[in-house]
Amino acid sequence: MKTILIIFTFLLSSITVVGQGKFLTKQGYTSFYSSTPIEDIKADNNQVLSIIDTSSGTIAIAILMKSFSFEKALMQEHFNENYVESDRYPKATFKGKILDFETLTNKETKVNIIGDLTIHGVTKKMEIQGNINSTEKDISLKGDFEIEVADFGIKIPSVVANNIAKTIKVTYEFDHKPYQK
Amino acid sequence: MTKKTKKLLILYFFAAILVVSIITVKIYNKPFINIAESKPSLSLASEALLSDFINDESTANTMYLEELIQVNGTITAIEKGKDGNDIITLGNENTIGSIICHLSKNEKNLKTGQEISIKGICTGYLMDVILVKCVIVP
Repeated sequence: MKTILIIFTFLLSSITVVGQGKFLTKQGYTSFYSSTPIEDIKADNNQVLSIIDTSSGTIAIAILMKSFSFEKALMQEHFNENYVESDRYPKATFKGKILDFETLTNKETKVNIIGDLTIHGVTKKMEIQGNINSTEKDISLKGDFEIEVADFGIKIPSVVANNIAKTIKVTYEFDHKPYQK
Repeated sequence: MTKKTKKLLILYFFAAILVVSIITVKIYNKPFINIAESKPSLSLASEALLSDFINDESTANTMYLEELIQVNGTITAIEKGKDGNDIITLGNENTIGSIICHLSKNEKNLKTGQEISIKGICTGYLMDVILVKCVIVP
């Protein structure tokens, strides 16, 4: 009887291990917002790839710079050609770890994420706060943080220096689903 | 300087300012390209586009990024995006990657397995090739 019980517990625990794995979204949302007295500039991106490995709590995010869509075509052109140089640096990435991931329960919780953010070929260590809600079918993660344009080697010409904020607010919202394939 | 030439000069001055400001506003408000009415710079099968990116991403980037391209393929999935517009996946079940097309307005009567042509702006390759602002080519 005892051995059966042991085998059973063993089987059950292995099932929960199998149940863990990768959660992913290919339609993650990221936007940034620059606010100055002269003008506000906002750009949205609905094509962000984000993958969470639930066994380790690691997260990997990839963003296509050319997917950011602006209110005005000229802003988008300047952003791609002059500021982030998206021909040379087509992607921004974030690789990090969601702290205390294993203690999460099925309700919205504040989490800290530590990792490396790469934009314009420059990598910077970041600590980002977010709200996470993790269930068996869905991991949603959202929040916002600020970055300094100068930290990523992005040069803003003095002519438009008053139109573009030095600190940019980044908002994100990812709704990860279990990955099958 | 006579009174008349002075008046004329002032008139020219204001006319010049007006012309410059009209041009500035025109440039500032330059419209996005109208995808429905523009001719795609190239047209190819979804498998060909995907394999170009898988084989050599940086060359494919120089070829396709920010280009309006037409892709022909089979619908493998239709999803609703967060903005309410449909997201159509082109490809086949056997390959890992696919072409993900974000439509700019919803299209009725689409179903999986259907062969279609979609044109849109290519923004790059993550796990899949991404096209944005897509419209269905009738």
